[in-house]
Amino acid sequence: MAQEKMLSGCAAAAQGAKFAEVEVICSFPIRPYTAIMMELARMVANGELDAEFVHGEGEHAQVSVALGASAAGARAYTGSSGVGVTYAFEVYSPAAGGRYPLQMAIADRTLDPPGDFGSEHTDAMSARDQGWLMGWAATPQEVFDNTLINYRVGEDPRVMLPQFVCQDGYFLSHISDKVILPDLAQVREFLPPYKAPHPLSPLCPVSHGPQIRPDQGAPMDAQRAMTFLEVPKVIEEATDDFNRIFGRNYDPFLEKYKMDDAEIAFFIQGAHANTCKSAINHLRKQGLKVGMVRPRWMRPWPTIQIAQALSQVKAVGCVESSTSYGGATRGGNLIHEVRATLYDLENRPLVTSFMGGLGGDVVLLEDFYYMTKILSQMVKDKKTHQLVYWIGFEEE
Amino acid sequence: MAIKVPKDREVPFGAITPAPVRQQELFITSNWRIIRPVIDHEKCTRCLTCYIVCPEPCWSYNEKEDQMEWNWKFCKGCQICINECPADSLTAVPELDFEDGVVRLEKPF
Repeated sequence: MAQEKMLSGCAAAAQGAKFAEVEVICSFPIRPYTAIMMELARMVANGELDAEFVHGEGEHAQVSVALGASAAGARAYTGSSGVGVTYAFEVYSPAAGGRYPLQMAIADRTLDPPGDFGSEHTDAMSARDQGWLMGWAATPQEVFDNTLINYRVGEDPRVMLPQFVCQDGYFLSHISDKVILPDLAQVREFLPPYKAPHPLSPLCPVSHGPQIRPDQGAPMDAQRAMTFLEVPKVIEEATDDFNRIFGRNYDPFLEKYKMDDAEIAFFIQGAHANTCKSAINHLRKQGLKVGMVRPRWMRPWPTIQIAQALSQVKAVGCVESSTSYGGATRGGNLIHEVRATLYDLENRPLVTSFMGGLGGDVVLLEDFYYMTKILSQMVKDKKTHQLVYWIGFEEE
Repeated sequence: MAIKVPKDREVPFGAITPAPVRQQELFITSNWRIIRPVIDHEKCTRCLTCYIVCPEPCWSYNEKEDQMEWNWKFCKGCQICINECPADSLTAVPELDFEDGVVRLEKPF
């Protein structure tokens, strides 16, 4: 029976893993994701979930254990936050290159130094070139849904890639909202069992991750690049199926809010998008034509869909909750890929970026109003005055 | 936009290969060999010292032919076997002298 519960993002992620009937879980504590493992430990202990629960000796061990389990043919689950994500970094490429569709839940957290529990996207963003699928949820329901969708896409024989299922630490991981939990039968219809093509097994011995010759390196990379050309189609199929079976209404790649007649748009990922939508509602009452595009996938970057969605507006403000020190714009990460996406358009919108939500900052309604003022001025002047604005630090 | 990898450079999915029983068929670790050990089967006493001292081993005894057999795919030309052969049946010959010599600039592998 489908039931409605008030769940935090962490609890929703744990429910997602439970409904996905994960077989091997590897834990190591770090807040804020840690609550996911607390929930899963409880479920395993009281028999609600039949899974092997392994305590890793660190985040590097977590991903290694999950990789080994996936290599042996088990559906594996792990997770981390902040410096835990970066501690496991070595294993990310082996997991993606070895084509192991394990899932890693990331409740993001500011990277050290010194020790900031607050949300920031930089931890997961820093791994975006490692070849995993990845995207941010905006609500606990979406965390639950993304857990299932990511296993479905990642384990598809055309894909076979691990997935980072990301959510804002604290804002999403620790604040409850309504989540509809489905019937297990619905999940089983959507998500078939994991079938590894060549699992490690004494019955049919194979070598995983052998040494290769240097001239085999580029073909390996090409194989992985070609897979990402296939992934968008698999995402579309999976999302359509998901919507049909569970009664949701997800656009496969983007959440578009009031974009039909928008002149300026926010490009924002994660939970602060919820505040953005409220801000847009208020701004619209004042007659300002503002809209929002929220990417649900960071990798693969939905290039065609973003270009299409933003092509109609005059100015785009990327809300950056991650840093790219020394990057092209000396600001965040989203602006680089948005500008690259829009570069070949006949009529390019102006694109700027706003550093907000760093360190665990709340992005306030007032912040969105400030950003709108800047974007409106850009439209009036037909010019980008600054590529990066630091919210709260600028002279007004 | 597909990426066309040349046929002779294709790799198995995820670099997953059959588990080797004797040797990994797809692998070569000899392309930097510059000295090749050449055996004189007349002088060879089949003492198997070359097999024992070879780090790989690249020498094996072929029972049917009653001869020592050399593995070109993995021999790196370290010359331990040449040094250790008690019958002086092994000679060091430059790899470039051979038509099928591996270390050539025109073909890296």
